[in-house]
Amino acid sequence: MAKVTVDGNVVEVPNDANALEACRAAGVDVPHFCYHPRFTIVGQCRMCMVEIDGMPKVQASCTVPIRDGMVIRATSEKALAARNATMEFLLINHPLDCPICDQAGECQLQDNAVAGGLPVSRTSEPRRLTPGYDRTEIGPHVIADMTRCIHCTRCIRFCSEIAGTGELSLIERGGHAIVWTHEGRILDNEWSACTADVCPVGALTTKEFRFRKRVWWLDKTSSICPGCEIGCNVSLEHRDQVVHRFLPRVNPEVNDFWLCDHGRFLAESLNGRDFLKPLVPNGTLPSAPGGAGRRETNWGEALGLVHEKLKAAQAGSIVALGSANLSTEENWLLAELFGKTVGSPNVEFEADQGPLRRIPNRKAVGADGGFVKGTVAAPNAKGAEAAGVRKADGASALGKILAGSLVPDVLYVSDAAFSARTADPAFAAKLRKAKFLVVHARVENPLTDVADVVLPVSGMTGKDGSFVNVQGRVQRFDAAFVPPPIVRTDLEVLLHLGRLFGSFETRWTAAHVFGKLAAAVPAYQGLTWEEPAVTGLPPSSSPAAAYDVLRPPRTSVDDTDKLPALAGKA
Amino acid sequence: MSGGAGTPVSEQAGLPRVGEHGALSAGKAVAFSPKALARFEKLLTRYPTKQAALLPTLWIAQGEFGWISREAVDYVAGLLGLSPAFVWGVTTFYTMYNRAPVGKHLIQFCTSISCHLAGAEEVFAECRKILGDLKPGETSADGRFTVIEVECLAQCDKAPAVMVNDDDFAIITKDNLQKFLGGLR
Repeated sequence: MAKVTVDGNVVEVPNDANALEACRAAGVDVPHFCYHPRFTIVGQCRMCMVEIDGMPKVQASCTVPIRDGMVIRATSEKALAARNATMEFLLINHPLDCPICDQAGECQLQDNAVAGGLPVSRTSEPRRLTPGYDRTEIGPHVIADMTRCIHCTRCIRFCSEIAGTGELSLIERGGHAIVWTHEGRILDNEWSACTADVCPVGALTTKEFRFRKRVWWLDKTSSICPGCEIGCNVSLEHRDQVVHRFLPRVNPEVNDFWLCDHGRFLAESLNGRDFLKPLVPNGTLPSAPGGAGRRETNWGEALGLVHEKLKAAQAGSIVALGSANLSTEENWLLAELFGKTVGSPNVEFEADQGPLRRIPNRKAVGADGGFVKGTVAAPNAKGAEAAGVRKADGASALGKILAGSLVPDVLYVSDAAFSARTADPAFAAKLRKAKFLVVHARVENPLTDVADVVLPVSGMTGKDGSFVNVQGRVQRFDAAFVPPPIVRTDLEVLLHLGRLFGSFETRWTAAHVFGKLAAAVPAYQGLTWEEPAVTGLPPSSSPAAAYDVLRPPRTSVDDTDKLPALAGKA
Repeated sequence: MSGGAGTPVSEQAGLPRVGEHGALSAGKAVAFSPKALARFEKLLTRYPTKQAALLPTLWIAQGEFGWISREAVDYVAGLLGLSPAFVWGVTTFYTMYNRAPVGKHLIQFCTSISCHLAGAEEVFAECRKILGDLKPGETSADGRFTVIEVECLAQCDKAPAVMVNDDDFAIITKDNLQKFLGGLR
């Protein structure tokens, strides 16, 4: 560690820090564009100018390695004048199209211009135009507007250093420079939309979010990506009960600053709701396919019917399916209710083996090539197992149902989309062989078409809970907005059903259930719902192992710069 | 979608101007001759990393193909283990890499200060007029001459200076321009 003086305050920073990081550690916000904690230093934007004692000229602070005893004047008149001049140069060619630019509101150029730029423009010359390089789909997810580019080269460094694909480069030179791909190639890698995240201006934006919502209207909820078992921390951004996008939330242990395109663009799939009221059979069983023989009803009747059928059935002939898409709390309630209260030996879940998903994380260098990797296409397979829900296989109840050797009295499916196979009507038909089929569902699929009872649930946006990711890390997600009154969360459905058996109370929340779960499951010992404890279960997940507690930063990528300086670097 | 926007350039009618962003296609795959490949292999031994050998490798490519085409960029990138975008970025940074086919004689007029004072601009204009009202960077209809303007050729004592391909020519004035061009034919 080295002692550095910034504007009169002495701070201690690691020896490999640079002057910009020292300023941030001292709480002095030096404006910058090209600096990013995960990229090599290039000193490209010249925005972070500071005065350093012993150096005759102002210095780009990101390029100056600190040394013990260094005295930095970050807000001296000379430093401010230099930064002001840089800002003026950057604005010479930047179009004033903020009103139609999607970055407005989360634009570093805008912020820094407001904070430290001149109030008026002194230029009258025409601005740089890049005909042919605007509003162009440079890849499947990213749209480029090169007139807005300020040549910080963050996107280029993301592609070459983090993604390792190197699709982008600075073409031409000086004022003619643009960021572009080589002719005939596109910006297409697993994390291509991260280039739009790191872009400090609106030069790169994502096709999916473009013109969807002005960013200052968005409410942000900290959440977990439901795409795979890596469990990338995301900021779920929504307005008026509509989810507009995911942005990565920085977590150096899991997804670092990044989010893969697959997960990022799942955000929109959280929208949509096909069921507003519970559905029960309208007459004889089994219901006709296509839901023709069902009618809408209230929760009392629907759950009463399920309760009745469960009581009448043989315990050994009841099958309950948990889901790797549900929270650990919900899976645990399901296991408690069906395993203990009802006494069924068949509480299990099935999760799809998806293609390999990777998220770059340089902390994992060596062990895993700098990536956290996951192959299960659902967020909570480990959590479901930890909650006591068994993984289905050929010999288990689900396997037998599919093989036709078991016809359960009651099949209770707590997630109508527990597997990609539920999109196959033939698969649904096999499950339909059960004498009584109950599903929790948000949107229609072949399984809800044939179910006897459909219980409308809110999906991930309406509930809180926790997932366990591939590393064994317990991660909490929060409810974004309240679902319509008659739609319940899976947790509430299970609590109400459990109450009919006299084993649960309906006033419990996810936090209560987590507490009970933590008391019951050894691996959860010592974890509490409140932060910062619900942060990480180490990969070993043995109770004795100390849980390395890392506060999941509650920030989305647009204010990563305000993170504690040097997170993960010391 | 093809690479996006390089397309505007290649879709332009007629010969594109030198200096547009998108790499033009040579229309066929390219590869070094065995002789050039030997030069390239020898070159690699003189640099600490493959990336460091990029500029001279591009120079060999230009010697081989006459200009740096899209395919040449891909080929060089493959040789050096770099991304094509990076190679193209480097190519466009430097002015001496031709980004479009040039004539047999690439006539480079210096218009920096000494040559300018000696009337290089007029000679340059006259030369373009003689070769068929060419704009700077254009190639004559017979494909023999490309005329461009360059910065100082370090022959200020013999202004106006001209370089044709790799050969220097001194004191090219309006008076001896015809003779100079004739000598090239």
